Amino acid sequence: MKPAHAASFTTLAVAATVGHTAWATQYLSVEQAQRALFPEATAFQPDDWQLTPDQMRAVERLAHLPARSVHWRVFAAQRGDQRLGYVILDDVVGKFELISYAVAVLPDARIKQVEILAYRESHGFEIRSAAWRRQFVGKTAGSGIEIGNGIANISGATLSCTHVTDGVRRIAAVAQVMLKK
Amino acid sequence: MKRRAQPWLGTLVEIGIADDAGDDVLNHQFGLAFAAVAHVHRMMSFHQRDSDVSRINRAVPGELVDIDPATAEVLECALRLEDISGGLFDVGCAPLLSAWGYLPAPQEPRPAPLPASRVLQLAGDTRVEKLQSGWIDLGGIAKGYAVDAAIKALCESGVRAACVNAGGDLRVYGIADFPVAIRNPRRPTEEGARLHLSNEALATSGSYFSGRRVGRRDYSALVDTRHGQPVTRSGSASVLAPTCMLADALTKVVIAGGSSNHPALRACAATAFVL
Repeated sequence: MKPAHAASFTTLAVAATVGHTAWATQYLSVEQAQRALFPEATAFQPDDWQLTPDQMRAVERLAHLPARSVHWRVFAAQRGDQRLGYVILDDVVGKFELISYAVAVLPDARIKQVEILAYRESHGFEIRSAAWRRQFVGKTAGSGIEIGNGIANISGATLSCTHVTDGVRRIAAVAQVMLKK
Repeated sequence: MKRRAQPWLGTLVEIGIADDAGDDVLNHQFGLAFAAVAHVHRMMSFHQRDSDVSRINRAVPGELVDIDPATAEVLECALRLEDISGGLFDVGCAPLLSAWGYLPAPQEPRPAPLPASRVLQLAGDTRVEKLQSGWIDLGGIAKGYAVDAAIKALCESGVRAACVNAGGDLRVYGIADFPVAIRNPRRPTEEGARLHLSNEALATSGSYFSGRRVGRRDYSALVDTRHGQPVTRSGSASVLAPTCMLADALTKVVIAGGSSNHPALRACAATAFVL
């Protein structure tokens, strides 16, 4: 990039005031995330968790966050009879972005890894619609959402992901409560 | 391009690999690159008690603190940039960010903000000496360094082409004319400009995500180090540089100095523009 280019971008920014863009990237499907999180697993069994009111209160005490959800989408990672851990799915809504992510938890409730499944940002009013969220969550690559490759990378001020780190902290607490019996 | 993203350094870090390798190879390469980012997170986090940064901040004047070579490399660059920017870039501004609520207070009392060059000096490749009470925060440079570290890991593992983007600070290698959109600082969900990168880094800073009003005063996570005041102008500064560490840090020079022609940019072979 030559310095001479710099001046022209300022002009471009002034000109480019029209056109609302929704950014979306699908990183991994649920199946791809399972394999990335537990490559040695031979099977992933649905194993959803349902929290009792007592367990909800225990989660809030551990995480210092509202427990938010009674029901958690979970898959148990198996290698034959051996339980390697769990994949827990969640989504969080930020200022104007919706993030779906998966957390790998070991049998002793320690966090192994976190992977973002999908990132989408748009105007807030769209994100707040539950129906809109449902159509997005759990979709896989090739399912009609505008995905990845043609979309440019974005440079900008750092968008903090506090809501994801809070979400991971909450899941760590849920795992503590559900696994450390 | 295969892409993956994980939360690190308080933001999302996205890694894209443009290679035909099979899934197992790719998983391994993504793993190495994210491990490099995770290492930077652990060493340079202001929030984690056992990070190098936290141990430096808790150290008393005269104390020698052992640090990771990566932290030393970032500190060396930060001190050099503080020097050539006339103090516009200064990792010693942490007490201000803490006072404004952008960082926690690791201990009481909160020290006065001092230029980092008066708070510490390097004492070899893996050690710093604390000179005076003060806190440093590498939040304005470590993301860029983490991007460089991930690119290096990918390069060493044989990846031919990749892009790493840590919350808007990114670097491209092995790809010509890689399109990158820059957010419109006045409408951040829209594209404000677009450019094409080839084997270089681009970072952008602005107060449009971190800005907030408390009482009658506006705050942001960007510091005008000359006056110790938050930068609350509505624009953004973008810097193109050979490495993402330089690009990341130099955006603060442009933002705080209000000029995209600061001599520090040329000294680092960087170019800046303001939206």
